Amino acid sequence: MESKQPLLEAANLSKRYEDDVLALDEISFQVAPGEIYAMLGGNGAGKTTTIHLFLNFIEPTAGEARIDGIATHVEPLRAKERVAYVSENVALYPHFTALQNLDFFVRLHGRSDLDRDGYRKALSRVGLQEDAHDKRLKGFSKGMRQKCALAIAILKDAPAILLDEPTSGLDPQAGMEFTKLLGELRDEGKAILMSTHDIFRAKQIADTIGIMRQGRLVMERSQAELAGEDLEALYVGYMAGPADGSERSVEAAACSA
Amino acid sequence: MFGLIVRKELREILGSPRFAATFAMISLLIVLAFYLGARDYLDQRQRYEAAVAENLRQLEGQTDWLDVRPAIFLPPEPLASLVTGISNDIGRNVNVLGMGALRATESRFNEDPVLAVFRFLDLEFLFQVVLSLFAVLFGFDLISGEKERGTLRLALSAAVPRATWILGKLTGAFLGLTVPLLIPITLGALTVAVMGLPMSAGDWLRLALVVAAGLLYVGAFLGLSVLVSCATHRSSTSFLVLLVLWVLAVMVAPRSAVLLAARSVDVPSLDENLSRLGRLRSQLWAEDRRAIDRYFADQLDHDSPTPEEAQAMVGRFNGFFQELAEERNRRVEELDADLGEQRLNRQAIQERLAFGLARLSPAAAFSIAAVELAGTALDLPRRYLDQARAYQEIFERFQKEKSGGQSSGGVRMVVRFADSEAEEEVAIDPAELPAFAPEPRSTAEAIRGAVPDLGLLALFNALFFAGGFVAFLRYDVR
Repeated sequence: MESKQPLLEAANLSKRYEDDVLALDEISFQVAPGEIYAMLGGNGAGKTTTIHLFLNFIEPTAGEARIDGIATHVEPLRAKERVAYVSENVALYPHFTALQNLDFFVRLHGRSDLDRDGYRKALSRVGLQEDAHDKRLKGFSKGMRQKCALAIAILKDAPAILLDEPTSGLDPQAGMEFTKLLGELRDEGKAILMSTHDIFRAKQIADTIGIMRQGRLVMERSQAELAGEDLEALYVGYMAGPADGSERSVEAAACSA
Repeated sequence: MFGLIVRKELREILGSPRFAATFAMISLLIVLAFYLGARDYLDQRQRYEAAVAENLRQLEGQTDWLDVRPAIFLPPEPLASLVTGISNDIGRNVNVLGMGALRATESRFNEDPVLAVFRFLDLEFLFQVVLSLFAVLFGFDLISGEKERGTLRLALSAAVPRATWILGKLTGAFLGLTVPLLIPITLGALTVAVMGLPMSAGDWLRLALVVAAGLLYVGAFLGLSVLVSCATHRSSTSFLVLLVLWVLAVMVAPRSAVLLAARSVDVPSLDENLSRLGRLRSQLWAEDRRAIDRYFADQLDHDSPTPEEAQAMVGRFNGFFQELAEERNRRVEELDADLGEQRLNRQAIQERLAFGLARLSPAAAFSIAAVELAGTALDLPRRYLDQARAYQEIFERFQKEKSGGQSSGGVRMVVRFADSEAEEEVAIDPAELPAFAPEPRSTAEAIRGAVPDLGLLALFNALFFAGGFVAFLRYDVR
């Protein structure tokens, strides 16, 4: 199999906050073009911190987060040109319509070549009904707002996409549509890093799954490696086991689960 | 990128229901303030003209200019009705004698005490209280609100330098709040013009500068709001902090500064000075009465003078009385000037201290700039009395010219002989009375007086905006 240059890469990435809390402890992983990487883990495991380091919202204590080979804390603006981001609970601007929100954020991301038709196509692609395009966002459900945010990410047309709990709170139908869309984006060659609590969706769509606990990446397996394995039992096992994720204890925990 | 952020901010502010509601209310208040100010000016002008006419009417039928004691009145100024300052608190009427100390009495609030309870809805009040709250209302969540909505993370995930983002936000918010205000202000100015207020070019310029000072003041509160918004992570916290700061800056700081200055610097009270002057007057009058008695004893050597002798004697008496009165007046004026100067010096120290402390608040800086520009600052009573004294000198010269060297304010003797041929008394012509036409404060002088506080407001803007800018560069957007 041909080895691809990773678009997203965490190299011994660590983050210790000023209150001495170690949020991330030397994690390393890579996401290649056309690959979806799902980070699983409980609250406070370090998933969102990892994404924030890729966006340079915070600076690493050690190691690097790289986008297309560019260390984000060294050249944040160049790195951000190559990534799109969808966060959890995006509200966008409530008094703007969906199209106005798209117009602003897409231009802010550096694309001024699109017109309203382009925006409408993107909104339709993410499944937002046409009659909602010209409505203000203040009446939108969380799923509808999430679709708008995804449309913004799609229109940016960046090679890498960061998704922070993108399906949290979505109804099953919206979740399914979202999964389908992610598959399409992967097929277009995007490198996608997604943090999620949703084990089933992760198993369904991700090419690689990493489990994080207390700031450490305690497990990383490809879809092929996970074939036939009960991911849920494995996940519960890792969550119950020691933070170093040592194989023996994890397997024991998985059996008991 | 910068333009895009500015346009977004403008659209966000102008498109929000919060703006529609507050702007409608503020527009109404602004136009109302202009209308009520203009209406008040026209009423005051009418009263002033009636008082001047009544004053002249009282002179009709009088036959001796020495009996004339004209009253002068502070004429209303159009700008003083829009930015009232202390113009309603000071005495407006002065009774003028040919000599003697002058006192202004009967302030507007003295005449209509009910107005003193709630004061006037003027431009100073609107900017100082209402529009600063307007700025806080739109600035408190400028950053923390974006963080709560998640839009800040989404925006900064783009290749946008933080400096560009915050500058765009600040510019957009400033334009979004201040430019729309120019609409009701223009409407208000048109109202004033249509209602026929005699505004000179200088008055318009000063009004424009009052508005500019107001916009700088709004900008200062917007900058402060952004600074606080960048220092907090929840808009509710930011609003609470700003509310406390607003109360301190607008309500507490100026008043506390004045109280503190009053406790730190003693100023002799006006009553105390008046009482000392009264004592001197009584003492001098007692001395003069003895001198008059002696004079009579020496001079009255004819049992029954002829009319010619009597007239000559009266002439000498009146000359003597005039000398006594002038000397008495000179000494009273001397003490009055001394006491006045001492009081003014202490007052100046107190004012400097009070204003120096109060200027720590943008609200005080704005108020001082506005009243300086409108000519209704603390120096108004001093200027008015200076002009009244200048008029007194004119009037004294006029009286002496009309009465053969005498002026009112002293004592004079008139002798009539029953058997003498009655001298025909001729009525005076009131039109000859010199008119009191005080010069309003010049535009250049008003602007010079306001420049330090305009500069201070600009400094507040620069400090708060720079503070907000720096705070945002370090802001945790997560």
